[in-house]
Amino acid sequence: MIDKYRWWEVVAIYAGIAVFLTFILAPFVEAFVVSMRPLDALFSIPYRFITEEMSFRAYVTMWENVPLLGLYIFNSFLIASSVTVFALLAIIPAAYAFARFKFKGSNTLLAAFLAVNMVSGAVLIIPLFKVMHQLGLLNTYFAMIAPGTAFVIPTGIWLLRSYLLKIPKELEEAAWADGASRMYTLRRVIIPVAMPGIIVVAIATFIVAYAQQFIYALTFNSKNELNPLPVGLFQFFGRQEVVWNELMAASLVGIVPVLVIYIFLQRYIVAGLTAGAVKE
Amino acid sequence: MGQLALQDVKKSFGSTEVIKGVSLDVKDGEFIVFVGPSGCGKSTLLRMIAGLEEVSDGTVFIDGKVVNNLPPVKRGISMVFQSYALYPHMSVYENIAFPLRVAKMSEAEVEERVRKASRILQLDERLKHKPGQLSGGQRQRVAIGRAIVREPSVFLFDEPLSNLDAALRSDMRVELSKLHGSLGATMIYVTHDQIEAMTMADRIVVLDGGVISQVGSPLELYHKPQNLFVAGFIGNPKMNFVEVTCKASAENSVTVTLPDGGEVEVPVKGQANLEGQKMTLGIRPEHIKLGQADAHISVVANVVERLGIHTVSHATVEGANTSFCSLLDGAAPVVVGEAAPVGFNASDCHLFDSTGAALERLVKLEDVDPAMLQVEPA
Ligand SMILES: Nc1ncnc2c1ncn2[C@@H]1O[C@H](COP(=O)(O)OP(=O)(O)OP(=O)(O)O)[C@@H](O)[C@H]1O
Ligand SMILES: [Mg+2]
Repeated sequence: MIDKYRWWEVVAIYAGIAVFLTFILAPFVEAFVVSMRPLDALFSIPYRFITEEMSFRAYVTMWENVPLLGLYIFNSFLIASSVTVFALLAIIPAAYAFARFKFKGSNTLLAAFLAVNMVSGAVLIIPLFKVMHQLGLLNTYFAMIAPGTAFVIPTGIWLLRSYLLKIPKELEEAAWADGASRMYTLRRVIIPVAMPGIIVVAIATFIVAYAQQFIYALTFNSKNELNPLPVGLFQFFGRQEVVWNELMAASLVGIVPVLVIYIFLQRYIVAGLTAGAVKE
Repeated sequence: MGQLALQDVKKSFGSTEVIKGVSLDVKDGEFIVFVGPSGCGKSTLLRMIAGLEEVSDGTVFIDGKVVNNLPPVKRGISMVFQSYALYPHMSVYENIAFPLRVAKMSEAEVEERVRKASRILQLDERLKHKPGQLSGGQRQRVAIGRAIVREPSVFLFDEPLSNLDAALRSDMRVELSKLHGSLGATMIYVTHDQIEAMTMADRIVVLDGGVISQVGSPLELYHKPQNLFVAGFIGNPKMNFVEVTCKASAENSVTVTLPDGGEVEVPVKGQANLEGQKMTLGIRPEHIKLGQADAHISVVANVVERLGIHTVSHATVEGANTSFCSLLDGAAPVVVGEAAPVGFNASDCHLFDSTGAALERLVKLEDVDPAMLQVEPA
């Protein structure tokens, strides 16, 4: 591409990006710095970015102070992964159906999904609690996974549907003419071709699931061993004081699984996977 | 076997009727080409034969069996799409093998059939590549390969060669004709390209707005178009049409008056009550000559294209606002802006009545070498 920006436009663009990144990353930097400080240096006035005796000690002591920390991280990961897997199982066929089949009420349904999206899970938390209670599902992984799954499905369908709409129809017609059934075509043709779109949906779903589990865990679960990280972090709130440095250290470590998933999956988001399918 | 018949087939999308009753018989092993202007329903008709589009009314027979409600595979057809429709994530080998995998064939047989197809289409070197790494012509061959492995009795092609460059197109044309010869299968082929239609077809079906305008061998359509539409559609540059008046009609000739008063006696089957009627005289640009001829007409050249071997003159008939194109010698002395007479022979003329239907010309198609009418298997 021809470089069509003037130097001051380039400067302005980078300045914009810098401001944006500062807002996004500043909390992480602060969390990191706090995790390095000894507790008594935390609230020093005036504020100093670098304080004496910075160390990684919190990253060691946190495991001793909250012995189940590893389990919490594992639970978080398990819940978010399960939500992602179950959600995809529903999203892929549903998005395919919405993208390809004409049926009565498909538009209404899509609109309804969008509407459901606007009601966050928090609004329904009390009715859901009743339901879980009645079904005797409180204090199980299921109670934290099922509602989470339900709430990520509509967004996923919308996202993936728009991706599937871009896949040329002839691919399916060719498969159909070659004798493949709908399911075979979905499995062998559509899903592989739609992989970049599916990965995007998977990442988005995982991140939402990772973030939203707090509220479900807090309400539907009182078994300590099943708690995910966000609830587990409460144990750093002591009677008298909050162990800020360990709390921040644990939070940062808790982000690692998301990063790992992201790095692992984003390799599959390759542009131009459909290259060569049809004449452009 | 690949015998196919359409019986008063119709198709509507909502309230618009796209195919308005088409009947056609196709013999086993025949190469049929559908031509027609854009939007006339060629693809739709092909897709109905394929089973990708439901038939609104009428019947489709393949090998004497009604197939209206059968899915494509059960009809024994395979289709090559205008847009290739290759599976981008699979190698060439897997693309070609796809129909066989669907049919759960044994690995050995898959291998054998794919090898055979790739040998015919010269894709041996490319089997491991992905479609994205291939050229347009190679992709097209992969698409054809995927169609032939199943060894269907009817092949359907929807403009397979459009989007290829001219050289590649003429190569592929020859390859497809060879393929038709070696497979002996029935082929139905949709195209915009007249050269493809004329060179490959056993019979051409000219579609016009959802109905068949004429069916016939390429030379039949060229020499004996049944109406103005086919006359104007087949042939390049287009046939010239001149408004004339009928002077006399006999059994084997009709005499007409040209706009400038000249007369021509055209050897066509006459009809009663033609005298005095407005008619259309058709004369192909390639039959125009300078100098000695049965009749002359005065035209003013607007644009002259010198192609080396030929000179194409786009002109207007003097005194009328009719365009007139002539295909002349490379060195023809045509000057832009000057009125000059051009000549043609009465036996080259076509004559159409006021409804646009042709009066049958008295040329014998047998005058043409019959071998030219049949594409013999190579
Ligand atoms: N799914 C559809 N819904 C509504 N109308 C359609 C549909 N498919 C085709 N048509 C209409 O049917 C007519 C014929 O279409 P078709 O694609 O068969 O034309 P075609 O002869 O193949 O044209 P081209 O040479 O441009 O490919 C067109 O007017 C088109 O608008
Ligand atoms: Mg078409």
